[in-house]
Amino acid sequence: MRIGYTVNSAVADVIDNSIAAGAQNIEIYAPPGMDDPRISILDDGWGMDLNELIQNMRIGCKDPSLEREKGDLGRFGSGMKTASFSQARQLTVISKKKNHPLVAARWDIDKIEETNTWCLEVFESHEIPDISGIRLDSSVGSGTQILWSKLTCLDTGSHALDQDAELALRLSELRSYLALHFHRFMSGKNKRVFRLNNMIIEPIDPFMTGAAGYQEGRSEKLRCKGGHIVIKTHVLPHFKNMDAELLDDLGGADGITQKQGLYIYREERLISAGGWLGMARNSQLGALARVQVDIPSSLDNSWSTDVKKASLQMPPRVKRGLRKFLADPIKRSKTVHTYRGKVDTANKFWKICENENTKVITYQIDPGNQLLGSLMQKCDKDERLILISYLKELAQKLPINHIYEKMSERPKDINQGEAEMEALEALLDRVFKG
Amino acid sequence: MSINTLSACTWIAACICAKDGVISEVEEQTMFRILDERFPDFNAEYFESALTEYFNSNRQIEDYLALVDDKVLRRFALDLAELSASADGLDVRENIALEKAYLIWGIKNNA
Repeated sequence: MRIGYTVNSAVADVIDNSIAAGAQNIEIYAPPGMDDPRISILDDGWGMDLNELIQNMRIGCKDPSLEREKGDLGRFGSGMKTASFSQARQLTVISKKKNHPLVAARWDIDKIEETNTWCLEVFESHEIPDISGIRLDSSVGSGTQILWSKLTCLDTGSHALDQDAELALRLSELRSYLALHFHRFMSGKNKRVFRLNNMIIEPIDPFMTGAAGYQEGRSEKLRCKGGHIVIKTHVLPHFKNMDAELLDDLGGADGITQKQGLYIYREERLISAGGWLGMARNSQLGALARVQVDIPSSLDNSWSTDVKKASLQMPPRVKRGLRKFLADPIKRSKTVHTYRGKVDTANKFWKICENENTKVITYQIDPGNQLLGSLMQKCDKDERLILISYLKELAQKLPINHIYEKMSERPKDINQGEAEMEALEALLDRVFKG
Repeated sequence: MSINTLSACTWIAACICAKDGVISEVEEQTMFRILDERFPDFNAEYFESALTEYFNSNRQIEDYLALVDDKVLRRFALDLAELSASADGLDVRENIALEKAYLIWGIKNNA
């Protein structure tokens, strides 16, 4: 049962519950080297007593039409169960509420199928310490551990990587996903500590607000039912000014281009990263444009948030209100690119010709170049013809497609200043020695 | 002037401003500034409460228009709506709603 969940969105859904329960520390633990790998999500939130645990183990335990409290990231009351069953056949929840004993319960799909009854297994207190993979004990004040066993999320097909390599790959993707989608919970006033296999997850700021060259744009607050939609526009620094690690975290130049657009947050949690939702077109020059949209959870119904909280439909009326904010960051993103373009191309060796009538753009060797002029003067007529023919061919054979591809993928790696002259010097040697 | 009547004026203006989907910050600020200049007793708290009530209600513009009888106040409500909605550019839908209000009340739009 996947219902569109990935490991990333399923773990994120469970973390939403942890945040709603006031957790300050959230720890994901998936140890390698196990025959039966498992994923544990442990928090130090308010926890549950036995009655609350049994209530929360029911599917759809909350009415989606009820308005959630501010800061509550839940939606249908189904997240923990549907997310868990999308990734594992066994879900164990261990919890402790302040001044209450440790409690635990388990859903096991295999047992449900075997007995053909939906029978929740509730653990006796003396059985709890023996639960395999338990990380919560009665010495803590409060908290909850979600434990997924009998994982179905790891590919075990014939072309699969070995189980540990597969798990490592999934965890690496999970780290990036959480670092981006919960970045506002990892810094500032909302700061919580997220750990993945004992390593702290550092936030990824999709707007690079601390980077040199970042531009903050227009912002606006729109009043709507249940609060405000807050819109902020951002323009990222040019690729060349980006920190290499951050650029890599955001998928390289290609990822940045693809992820231009709207970043929609629901109660501070990122639920939609990039894309213009049909309001603008992705373009190379608009690659640096980002529009941050903060919506309160009270708008869930009108924004059609799905059970995974991973997608939404913006109401047409809000789309209209939002459209007017899009032009500015896109225009400024173009300016960042074009400005750099002018600097790169306005040199003494190359001319860029844009034919207004045919719309054809050509890159040509500048015949007015002084060095070329003095060289021509030293050549006789035949030599000049050969040189001109060579330069013409050189311009025609400029590897434009390759340059475009590499500029999109790895702009920081391109440095023409380091072009090697050894081959040309060797040619000169051969000519003069010959 | 009673708070209820001024709330009704606020609802009419909100109803017209929100025709493009949402009430922008500049529309909201303009609306409050005009109300505050003319009726200082209608403070920020009353204004906030009126807007919250508007967003929680399913009533239509006709229902709000029926709440204001006084002719002078009707003119004020329409001016309030027009100036607020125009603060960030009068949208086509906002303009239609405004014209509708003029028509229902039988007031000539001088603009």
